[in-house]
Amino acid sequence: MVTLQGLTKAFGKFIAVDQLSLEVKNGEIYGLLGPNGAGKTTTFRMVAGLLKPTSGTILIGGYDILKNPIEAKRTMGFLPDRPFLYEKLTGMEFLDFIVGLYGMDGNLAQRRIADLLEAFELTEWGGELIESYSHGMKQRLVIASALLHQPKVIVVDEPMVGLDPKGAMLIKKLFRKMKAEGLTIFMSTHTLSVAEELCDRIGIIHEGKLIAEGTLEELKKLAHEKDFSSVFLKLTGGEDVDKTVKTLEV
Amino acid sequence: MRAFFLLLRPAFLSMRRRISIKPSEGGLQTQVILIIGLLFWVLTFFGFNFFLSHVMAVEEFGDILARKLMAMVFLTFFFFLIFSNIITALSTYFLSDDLNILWPSPVHIITIYYARLVETVIDSSWMIFVFAVPVLLSYGVNYHPSWTYYPWCIAVLVPFILVPASLGIMATMILVGIFPARRLRDILALLALIFIAGIILLVRLLQPEKLINPDAFTSLVGYFNAIHVPDSVYLPSIWATDSLMPLLMKKGSASVFHILLLSGLALPILGSYLAEWLYFATFSKAREAKKARLTRLEIFTSLLQLLTRPFHPSFQALMEKDIRGFFRDPSQWSQIFILGSMVVLYLYNFKLLPLNRLPDNIFVFGLTKEGLQNAISFLNLALAGFVTAGVAVRFVFPSVSLEGKSFWILRSSPITMRRLLWSKFWMSFVPLLILAEGLVYLSNRFLKVNDVVMVLSLVTIFFMTFGIVGLGTGIGAIYPRFNVENVAKIATGFGGLVFMLFSIGFIAIVVYLEAGPAYRIILAQTRHFPLIPKVVARITFHFSLVLALSAACFYLPIRLGIRSLERIE
Repeated sequence: MVTLQGLTKAFGKFIAVDQLSLEVKNGEIYGLLGPNGAGKTTTFRMVAGLLKPTSGTILIGGYDILKNPIEAKRTMGFLPDRPFLYEKLTGMEFLDFIVGLYGMDGNLAQRRIADLLEAFELTEWGGELIESYSHGMKQRLVIASALLHQPKVIVVDEPMVGLDPKGAMLIKKLFRKMKAEGLTIFMSTHTLSVAEELCDRIGIIHEGKLIAEGTLEELKKLAHEKDFSSVFLKLTGGEDVDKTVKTLEV
Repeated sequence: MRAFFLLLRPAFLSMRRRISIKPSEGGLQTQVILIIGLLFWVLTFFGFNFFLSHVMAVEEFGDILARKLMAMVFLTFFFFLIFSNIITALSTYFLSDDLNILWPSPVHIITIYYARLVETVIDSSWMIFVFAVPVLLSYGVNYHPSWTYYPWCIAVLVPFILVPASLGIMATMILVGIFPARRLRDILALLALIFIAGIILLVRLLQPEKLINPDAFTSLVGYFNAIHVPDSVYLPSIWATDSLMPLLMKKGSASVFHILLLSGLALPILGSYLAEWLYFATFSKAREAKKARLTRLEIFTSLLQLLTRPFHPSFQALMEKDIRGFFRDPSQWSQIFILGSMVVLYLYNFKLLPLNRLPDNIFVFGLTKEGLQNAISFLNLALAGFVTAGVAVRFVFPSVSLEGKSFWILRSSPITMRRLLWSKFWMSFVPLLILAEGLVYLSNRFLKVNDVVMVLSLVTIFFMTFGIVGLGTGIGAIYPRFNVENVAKIATGFGGLVFMLFSIGFIAIVVYLEAGPAYRIILAQTRHFPLIPKVVARITFHFSLVLALSAACFYLPIRLGIRSLERIE
């Protein structure tokens, strides 16, 4: 459903993403894991059509994002790590705007909006200005907007940022439900428990390169470790943490 | 087409919401702004009407001069619009946050281009449109053309605005493509310099004061050569002028209108081809991170530490943060160039004043030539004060709002709001004082005033700056705008308006209070009128009032601002 081939992004001399190739299969949840600054957000911004790759190709549902951007974008729903919302619109107006952007059918779209507002406990707030929403409510509204046009694949950059336990639980349940309905989810995270709980396959990115890929068990085997956090730290050079802690122990 | 209107909807709805706020929620602000706008509009109309009627009264050449004047106005609009569109397009096409929603959605690049074109045109050109109406109306009032002139004005203005808008947008796309976006501020600096150069060039070329003074020239040819308005057939300002003048003078139809209309339609389309080819690549470039080059240099840090060394450590920390932030944020410091052009023009106009050409035996309001020079210098104080207030509304008034969403850091730290505001005050006061004193000193030098008037002006502007910076810091704290996305917009809110009104009032009262004493002093200096004790007492009283007023403007707003910040939860 999502195919990255030799994807590279250079900012001047700095290579943020280096020859990244991976494939997210139909109906699976694929988690791209990596420490801060590993190149996850750059990768997702290229997939979403916000950044132009220096080289390589991105296929979404078989469509090349550079050659056939409209079809590729229609197939996908994108959730950025720091979403923007029009503060002076109401929640309902914002969703109406998204309906228009994706060219959805009016009646069907209105039903879908009502369903999503209810599912995300926003029905009562639909007519209020977004500027009056809490952080969690804004987050839920953004997720609703990404699901509105019933995409085949959801591309999510750091889905749990700023969510309370209830919000995080909601997302996890939602992702499982979407997977059960055949949706593909391509997400980035550095929350290991989320990846452990949700992902069918995990790719580990470090300094712009994909350094490991597989199921949780395959990764554990690869790193000769029993728990996932040790696997992650071993692969991404996180043993330095111990050194840092020691430095702080004066 | 549907998608195009859809993309305009959020901006339209947001604007409607801002306008239709109820009085209980601060809706009065919109009404106040509208009333002031209307007043400004009426003033423009009467001012221009007065000037135009004088121009037209010049025997035999009235019509020719009126045409030249219109060409000047349109040429000025054209230059302004190009620059304003470049700046606006940077924001609407490249920096605006909502592009993060639009680009991942399945909307065609051309649709985004056209929707943003409309937003850019409205954002950058509404002021010109509003300003052009009284100008064109006064032509109508003076020429009594048929009613078709008025709809024709709209028909001319629309393509006239579209031409510089399309040129500005295309220039922005190319510039962002050439320069890496991390050097966006370099681009802005470059644009601002071009703008200043353009303005100076324009003023040099136009010299509008010569229009109503044909007697100053020895020959007719010399006169017309002096009023040199660029008259190229390739200039849209000439197309617009020659589209309207035949109607005013009832001399047939205007064939150049077709060129204007064609350009107004063709250039946006040409821009769409450029956008299809270049926009995504340049937009992607604009997402790249910026680097702080200058402000990370060791010499900059050392200089900063040297500057802030005499202050308390928390004062020091605040000042260092603000100065670094200022130089790293192009939207803040690039405004310097626009204000710089204002200052250059200001001084340049003083150099152009024809005081040297006045006859030596002139006698106006009981003043000799020398007295007149000194009186103008005194009135110049009001202008210098106004320029200082103009700079303050851009740099001093926003200083609290600039803390933005990170205001909580200061609020939760052991720093008091008193210390915060005073640090803002002193940091703004020093550069503004240098600017204000510099303006007054240089313009007085151009005017060749005597020493007493020079000292009086320099001392007055010193106290005025205290008052203006106090008002700016205080009112900025009373009306903080922590959530404004574009820094340049902080000054355009209700608080900015309140500040400007108070500043103008303060400057006017100071000038009023000092006018009498200054007149007496000038008479004493130039015509040796005696300063009797009663007059000296009155002069002292007036100057004391100025001092008291300056102290009140300096202290009270800051005190109120401190209270207001302490109440923020």
